[in-house]
Amino acid sequence: MKLMKNEIATIAYLFGSFYRVSLARHRSSRIMADIRDILDINEAPVPQEPMTKESILGHEKHRKKPKPLRDVVKRPEGMHRELYALLYTDNKDAPPLIPSDTVGTGYKQMKAKLGMRRVRPWKWMPFTNPARTDGAAFHHWRRAADEGKEYPFAQFNKKVPVPTYTDAEYQQHLNVDSWTKEETDSLFDLCRRFDLRFVVIHDRWQTEKQRSVEELKSRYYDVCGLLTKARSTGPHEPKVFVFDAEHERRRKEQLKRLFDRKPEQIEEEQMLLAELRKIEVRKKEREKKTQDLQKLITAADSQAEPRKLDKKAQKKKVPQQQARPKPEAVPTLDFTGIKFPDFKNSGVFLRSHRMKLPSNVGQKKSKAIEQMLQELGVEVNPMATPEICTHFNELRSDMVLLHELRLALANSAYEVQTLRHQYEALCPGKTVLHRPLPLPTSTLTPLCTTSSTAQIQQSPTKIQGGEIIDVVGSPGTPTVVTPSN
Amino acid sequence: MSAGMLYGGDEIGALVFDGGHYSLRVGYAQEDTPKAEIPAVVGIGEDANGMAVLEGEAMEVDEKKPDPSSINQSNKKYYIDTTSLCVPRQGVEVASYMKECMIDDWDVFEKVLDYSYKKIIQSESEFHPVLMSEAPWNVRLKREKLTELMFEKYSVPAFFLVKNAVLAAFANGRSTGLVVDSGATHTTAVPVLDGYVLGQAIVKSPLGGDYISMQCTKYLEENDVDLSPSYMVSGKEAVKEREKPRWTKRRNLPEVTRSWHNYMVRKVVQDYQATALQVLETPFDDKIVANIPTVHYEFPTGYNQDFGAERFRIPEALFDPSMVRGNTMLGVSHIVTTSVGMCDVDVRPSLYGSVVITGGNSLHQGFPERLNRDLSMKIPNSMRLKMISANGSPERRFGAWIGGSILASIGSFQQMWLSSQEYDEGGKQQIDRKCP
Repeated sequence: MKLMKNEIATIAYLFGSFYRVSLARHRSSRIMADIRDILDINEAPVPQEPMTKESILGHEKHRKKPKPLRDVVKRPEGMHRELYALLYTDNKDAPPLIPSDTVGTGYKQMKAKLGMRRVRPWKWMPFTNPARTDGAAFHHWRRAADEGKEYPFAQFNKKVPVPTYTDAEYQQHLNVDSWTKEETDSLFDLCRRFDLRFVVIHDRWQTEKQRSVEELKSRYYDVCGLLTKARSTGPHEPKVFVFDAEHERRRKEQLKRLFDRKPEQIEEEQMLLAELRKIEVRKKEREKKTQDLQKLITAADSQAEPRKLDKKAQKKKVPQQQARPKPEAVPTLDFTGIKFPDFKNSGVFLRSHRMKLPSNVGQKKSKAIEQMLQELGVEVNPMATPEICTHFNELRSDMVLLHELRLALANSAYEVQTLRHQYEALCPGKTVLHRPLPLPTSTLTPLCTTSSTAQIQQSPTKIQGGEIIDVVGSPGTPTVVTPSN
Repeated sequence: MSAGMLYGGDEIGALVFDGGHYSLRVGYAQEDTPKAEIPAVVGIGEDANGMAVLEGEAMEVDEKKPDPSSINQSNKKYYIDTTSLCVPRQGVEVASYMKECMIDDWDVFEKVLDYSYKKIIQSESEFHPVLMSEAPWNVRLKREKLTELMFEKYSVPAFFLVKNAVLAAFANGRSTGLVVDSGATHTTAVPVLDGYVLGQAIVKSPLGGDYISMQCTKYLEENDVDLSPSYMVSGKEAVKEREKPRWTKRRNLPEVTRSWHNYMVRKVVQDYQATALQVLETPFDDKIVANIPTVHYEFPTGYNQDFGAERFRIPEALFDPSMVRGNTMLGVSHIVTTSVGMCDVDVRPSLYGSVVITGGNSLHQGFPERLNRDLSMKIPNSMRLKMISANGSPERRFGAWIGGSILASIGSFQQMWLSSQEYDEGGKQQIDRKCP
């Protein structure tokens, strides 16, 4: 394999040099034949000696003698290619100790390479600067050829255009009480001299009346605006820049205050900001909690709506139970069906994900759901069309609720039973007249959840007299509607 | 030079003069350091033995004269530049021509200019436009007088005056910034906006290099260090640290004046100051200072000593003037904040964004770091603070000169000169309009 590689490298090398040399002189089929010769490794006998160009192209006598190939020293493992290339260049010699690469393209040129163009002499000559108004002549070095050309740096002579006004214009348009003409003149002169650097102008302001930077600015822009308006001839009013000195002043005042704060003030501000942030976090937390609560309440309400109706009826008969369920007791309400999460903000998702039971549904419940679904003959994983999704979720939610209620009912029945036994034990001979509660059945009866709850609710109403045992409202028993009161 | 290849420089052979209290820097524009730094003091001697004629000829044939830099006029002789100034001569008084960073003694200043043209520039003044630096608080009268002098006496083709703070900012590549110039006599904070000095917000404090020298002298004298300058010393022996120096005084010394001797003593102190003193990065604290290695210094007399805490305590006065009793001056950081506080609120961020440190006194080791620390404590965190200080000693000492060198060789600056034509037309009042 390695031999093959070497051969290919050699051939590629030969091909390259051959191609370079011959291309200029020979074209046509002979080259192609030669190339075929070279490339035909199997047919051509592999030469034992190191290959030379003659051995392949022996008939080309007039060609340049190719460099004899030395045996290639293999690059030691781990040596960088660049380093190797330094060590073994084309002639495969160790690099010379003394720099020998002084001819040709070496970095050391023995002879200065002079351009073929004629030298362009430089001359110490006078010049006038068109940016100057006095035409003063200074001297500088310049190419003799450039003599008489315009001074190149004059192009940088840029000035801010500051408008001028005549006396008449001033009297007609610009007269104000707060500024005299002399002051305005002086302002415009300074504007011209300092290219509208108002801070510098303010610094050089020498008239007896002290003016703030804003005053100067507003006067300048006022005058500019008035002049533009007065001179405009078109039908449209020209747009002028309006300088809001008052705003500027307030801004600077604020900046100054910000700048002049003491370290303690800054510290205090930082502290207050941190406090504010804390308060906001707490507020958010509280809001989140109340929201959760609200959700729970609404969920419970919507589930218990039919029961509420019953409750109302019951309230009429049982005045002690008038107290509405207190909100703090709501968390004890744990049968709310299944709350399926919203997928509003989570981007793209499979619709079947909507039917996935949320993780807070316990194993028991999911088992129960599965069982019930089997009993009903409903598929455990139905096709997730939007309708099926909602219905399926509702169904399972109701199932869970039913399951919970059944459990509650069983508990209640059990308690009733115990209480009755206690009662009978305490007052022998007397029996509680009571229709036995319908015990939860494992089979799904056609009665829906609402009817089953109704039955639970019915039970106390049937019990008459002082010995009424309040199954639903008794403390400690899990109830659907009323918590402990 | 085509438009596509237009680069900033255009040399017109201008000269740059940057005068300070310590020295006058002279050189050609477009070079990176001045050709010469001439002390801002000159020796003025009474010409006693009728040498007036001879000295007057010295202007023409200075090769033969052993002392060519002395310029004689009437019966006074001026000794300019270090070489001739530092020779002990009888009755030579040393005087400065500067006052409050402005030229005060015009006669002497003229002599120095003569000397610069003759010995340093070695060319005729009418061929070279001149750019001069000035103090930011220079007064109109002096500017006009200088303009008159340059055009009338030296007949320069063009002249320009720039505030040295602006030049220092230019030298550091800024056109806007707060220039903290700690020089010989003053430390100043000058706000520069787009190349214009905001003159109303300049804050000066007389805490400069000279003040530190004074404190050093006081300290050294209190510790009985012999400050005899080297001109008095003819030989000395090596002594151990803190041992009494053993040196012999030079014989037949001329009777030098008090002011000249003081000048020489000051030079000794200045050398000590430059070698030993250091600014602590944090406010002065004996415990911290105790851990920093001492610096060994040997005086011209051979006396040598390791200096510890004092080398930090003396320059501390720059930043915390309350260190020195009875001192109510402003510390450097205070100068900066006061100056910025006087500027328009809108420009404050850009001023703090480039605080340029220049001047020879800022070369005390740790000066920029300390200023940075003090300032960052004082200004609000929201403000970006950036210190700009050239690292090299010449760049810091000659900051304003380098800025002038740059400015005078910028192509687009060539339209700014006050030319002799303009001067002829408008008179010296032109300078106020042309050089704001």
